[in-house]
Amino acid sequence: MHGVTDGIMAAMLVLNLALLGTSRLTFCIRLVAVQGVLVGLLPLVSPSGMTLRTVVLAAAVIALKGAVFPRLLSNAMRGADVRREVEPYVGSGLSLLLGLALLGISFWLGAKLPLPAAAPEVALVVPGAICTILIGLFVIVSRKKAITQVVGYLVLENGIAAFGLAIVQDVPLLIELGILLDVFVAVFVMAIMIYHISQEFDHIDADRLSALKG
Amino acid sequence: MSVPMPGDVLWLVIALPAAGSLVCLALPSARAVLAVTAAGVPAIAVASGAVVWQVFAHGPLLTAGRWLYLDALSAYHLAVMMLIFALSSVFARVYFGAEPMPLSRRRARRFGALWYGALAAMALVVLSNNLGIMWVGVEATTLLTAFLICLHVSPVSLEATWKYLIVCSVGVAFAFMGTLLMGSAAAACSPGGAQFLNWTYVHDIASRLDPRVVKLAFIFLLVGYGTKAGLAPLHSWLPDAHSQAPAPVSALFSGFLLNTALYCIMRFIPIVETATGNAGWSRGLLVFFGLFSILLAAAFILAQHDLKRLLAYHSVEHLGIIAVGLGLGPLGSFAALFHTLNHSVCKALGFFSAGRVGQIYGTHDMRRITGALKVHALWGVGLFGSILALIGLAPFAIFLSEFLIVKAAAETKAYVTLAIFLLGAGVVFIGALRHAIDMAWGTPAAVPAPRRASILEGAIVIAPLALLLVLGLWMPRPFQEMLSSAARILGGSAQ
Repeated sequence: MHGVTDGIMAAMLVLNLALLGTSRLTFCIRLVAVQGVLVGLLPLVSPSGMTLRTVVLAAAVIALKGAVFPRLLSNAMRGADVRREVEPYVGSGLSLLLGLALLGISFWLGAKLPLPAAAPEVALVVPGAICTILIGLFVIVSRKKAITQVVGYLVLENGIAAFGLAIVQDVPLLIELGILLDVFVAVFVMAIMIYHISQEFDHIDADRLSALKG
Repeated sequence: MSVPMPGDVLWLVIALPAAGSLVCLALPSARAVLAVTAAGVPAIAVASGAVVWQVFAHGPLLTAGRWLYLDALSAYHLAVMMLIFALSSVFARVYFGAEPMPLSRRRARRFGALWYGALAAMALVVLSNNLGIMWVGVEATTLLTAFLICLHVSPVSLEATWKYLIVCSVGVAFAFMGTLLMGSAAAACSPGGAQFLNWTYVHDIASRLDPRVVKLAFIFLLVGYGTKAGLAPLHSWLPDAHSQAPAPVSALFSGFLLNTALYCIMRFIPIVETATGNAGWSRGLLVFFGLFSILLAAAFILAQHDLKRLLAYHSVEHLGIIAVGLGLGPLGSFAALFHTLNHSVCKALGFFSAGRVGQIYGTHDMRRITGALKVHALWGVGLFGSILALIGLAPFAIFLSEFLIVKAAAETKAYVTLAIFLLGAGVVFIGALRHAIDMAWGTPAAVPAPRRASILEGAIVIAPLALLLVLGLWMPRPFQEMLSSAARILGGSAQ
């Protein structure tokens, strides 16, 4: 199954770079949804294989990240009636270059980090997960809109989920579901906040939320 | 090590607030919601007091298939938390009753449900034996308290809420990576064990963990939970959220939300220290972050004009002081835990007073709040007294706990730490004292005559001040033993 895992991770990396290159908000949301589905598939091809635990987990992740989150975000976007462009501080060309640099750093880190021997022998999981985490952080700090910050948070979350699968096997299902519940509520709360902000400000540009200083 | 007792009562400490949360959603009026919080939370606090007492009398409680665990360290934090929640719940009734615009039924229901919900989530953090569930609880407190900041919707309160949500969610995500790394280190030592995320288990096998992985994990945990605890330079969300939230919510944030996150860091200290050969590696990091917080807060306190932001930077300072204490050996840990209670009680009173004084003057700008002692004697005393206690004036208890930290620094020969600590505390003392004197004694500003204080308001001001004064002069023997046994856990003992 290792080939499949590496294939999934490679697809996630391509999605990361596509996310940095795209300028349309709806497309961003769709890319993150696809990435979420891929993360959901990972437990099924992990060494534990198809057990009740992994199937329940995969189903929950795919349903939330693949269907519920994109719908929440699209609704928030429509309710806020925002312009459809991403509006980055850093242009898409430079973003892509930085993304490639982050990818390089991830491979270097993946080789350097003193991760426990339990890590699977698949080559791409740890660096891929680190890269996804870094790209998520980059999206959060480099994009102006509140909604793209949520997209960045989801990418970060995807990266952490993959990282977890790589280094710890068999986290109790109860904890996994608790984490998913938290992420779900987080996105839900953020979507409501985006609606409130758009009502109060006529925009959802997080960079213009800057009245509070000192 | 004594055998932990079955403690099925622990469930109730989480279940009762959760039930309260649902009840609040169904209440018919804003008055009813505020009454149910003001009466219900202190009742839950008293009931939890019984559980805490049982821990100190008979030893740790472990229950629910090892998911819930209450030892001296968590019991002490549970007690502080319940005290702050009870005080703030009673104050919430006073505060919202004095608002120019009464709470609508919808807002009040939302407040009650989230308030009880936050109580349940924080109880989950403190009671959880499983490090994963502990993380779930911390993230839940972020999400449940977010809407409490913007209870009164305004552009600035939304801005503060958004920053809080994003910064804390992302920060706490790092803590999750740290938890995973810690779990992987434990799992590597116990093939096939399903317990590798339980604190009791990880603590027992700590000496066999791979120190490199444990160090990596602790850096992630410190950054992650440190963001939520408001340790500089990760505190960017804190002054905004504290200043924009309604006063009872600010009191809760400063009084215990920050401590919840710091508690999580405390849980990991004995594990990391044992795994890295008791070389004081994690303690050094805590001292560094603590000193940085103290200095940064001191600079911002000097230049501050907003009363609630002033108190918020005091929180950064005091959480820094607790972190420094944790880094200074057994006496330092003892002092840090003592300081936790002192700061929480004092800061809760500070925000209560800031909230009521702000309502009376119609502003939080300290340049326009003058002669508070003449305008409203009771809340003027509350404000002046809490700031004096906060900056470490003798004989209030904060003076004593800070003195113990200084002593711990001198005993461990940490002279650089000692010097920076005294410098920061000195700057804060002078800066905040100047603000406090202007607010208390200046020519009274012309404001509409405030209504007279009720007996309840009197009790809310007098009780915390009295507690701080008594603890500053005399430490009861049982309380001292309580602190010692909690500090021993930080030092690596399972008791």
